[in-house]
Amino acid sequence: MLQVRDLQAGYIRGAPVLRGLDLDLVRGDCIALMGRNGMGKTTFVKALMGVLPQISGSIRFLDQEIAALPPYRISNAGIAYVPQGREIFPDFTVEQNLAMGRIGKRKQRNEPVDFVYDYFPVLAERRKQLGGTMSGGQQQQLAIARALVGRPDLLLLDEPSEGIQPSIVQEIAAILRRIVEQEKMTVLVVEQNLDLVRRLADHVRFIENGRIQSGVAVEEINRNPAMIGRYLSV
Amino acid sequence: MSGYSRQLTVLFWAALIASPLFLDGWNLGLLSQLMIYGIFALSLAFIWGQGGLLCFGQSLFFGLGAYAMALTTKDMIPGIPATTLTGLGLAVILPAVVAGLLGLALFKGRGLYGAYFGIVTLSAAVIAERLAINWSYIGGFNGLLDIPPLRVGWGSWQTELYDPLPFFFVVLVAALGIYLLLLRLERSAFGTVLRGIRDNETRATFLGFETAEYKAAAFAVSGAIAGLAGALFAVQFAFVSPAILGFALATEVLIWVAIGGKTVLLAAFIGAVAVKSVENVLSDTLGQYWLLVLGLLFVVAVVLMPRGLLAPFLQLPLPRALRLSGSKEE
Repeated sequence: MLQVRDLQAGYIRGAPVLRGLDLDLVRGDCIALMGRNGMGKTTFVKALMGVLPQISGSIRFLDQEIAALPPYRISNAGIAYVPQGREIFPDFTVEQNLAMGRIGKRKQRNEPVDFVYDYFPVLAERRKQLGGTMSGGQQQQLAIARALVGRPDLLLLDEPSEGIQPSIVQEIAAILRRIVEQEKMTVLVVEQNLDLVRRLADHVRFIENGRIQSGVAVEEINRNPAMIGRYLSV
Repeated sequence: MSGYSRQLTVLFWAALIASPLFLDGWNLGLLSQLMIYGIFALSLAFIWGQGGLLCFGQSLFFGLGAYAMALTTKDMIPGIPATTLTGLGLAVILPAVVAGLLGLALFKGRGLYGAYFGIVTLSAAVIAERLAINWSYIGGFNGLLDIPPLRVGWGSWQTELYDPLPFFFVVLVAALGIYLLLLRLERSAFGTVLRGIRDNETRATFLGFETAEYKAAAFAVSGAIAGLAGALFAVQFAFVSPAILGFALATEVLIWVAIGGKTVLLAAFIGAVAVKSVENVLSDTLGQYWLLVLGLLFVVAVVLMPRGLLAPFLQLPLPRALRLSGSKEE
């Protein structure tokens, strides 16, 4: 469903962060992208969403070339992005935040959003609360729920564990796993938190110096922790 | 959010509706004038408070509406019949189209943000003022005189709304109608998206919104309403001059809205009415110093009460749909 070929992208001309990145996702995949700081994880996600000024190579999503499209077209093509730092609307209530995820989508505009409350009961209790007054973990759940109400084909998560206490990370991982299985959702998660990756992903890809270096099934990591050392330790 | 905001809102409009019982013709005329400024303030409050677009040249659309009304009803535009209805229509459509096209040109592509948008709109207003001064067909520096009053009715039964009372009611209906229209827009899905774009535009694009088109559409609505206010202004004064296109009025409306409160429509409306009526009283006694007082008030409002002096009391509760949905579980 997603084929990335020879992707070069960066922030200034002549200094690409991604240097010929290839990646394939099949529908139903749940893949974690791991790597050290500065290896291009977030840059890759931004390149996918169309916000980088310098980009070349090919990104095909559902038989459509999206590498040159503006972010709103990429979103409407079916990729939902949960950015690093959550980025909910702090002055909006939970319901208004969810409405923002739905109004822009032609098909989902009038559909109920109640199904996300089944996954995130904490949001159901706080429908009228302002997003900015919630805890980090709750905001993260809201950001994921807001992405889901648009009924995306691909869910893109950038460091969902950042700044959240371990027990809540485990809870969010479990909820995401349920969503993957019940909604047949395709997920690409960029993450450094091994605990979340183990609980959520089926496969792991390692990114180094702007390229995908290798990939393994998550069980492999559990058997062979040295592998993590090679790609993640400084 | 004040617990009495709804009651205060209803009370304010009721007081306006009842005001002919207490006011003589002269003061009704004055109140009509204040409400016209109020409508103008509504147009800016919508684009600034909801859309986050600080338009520094809102007078451009006010002036376009005024000139469109004046030129049409004085039968100076070939091919367009000189009636009140065509005048009002043109006074609404022309500024809406100009604002919409200007918006698309400014927001599409990389787009203009923040202060740059303010500077460009200010320049547009100043350019329009210079053009009007130098265009002799539309009166040049002296402007246009003898603009006819509103004319209602058809065929042989026609009458001119010359007295203050009927004109007052026309302005009141326009003000209330526009207030309700903008309130409805604000509380619709469109309004939610606008506020989303105001809070963080990049975030909104990730959710699939073509933000430039939303902003341009809101700008066009704002321009249309400013144009209508300009048309009513032209009719009441029977006179337009290039000054109403330019810098001075653009800054004035900004101050009314900032003092009242940009995010609450009624606060902006009352801000215009209040500042203008205080000005009527104080500019006699204080003379030049009035501007100093107004400037200080503006600074105080911006620094100490960035939401405006009135907005905290007039902020309406959330729409019912958003308040009550999900009450099953509660």
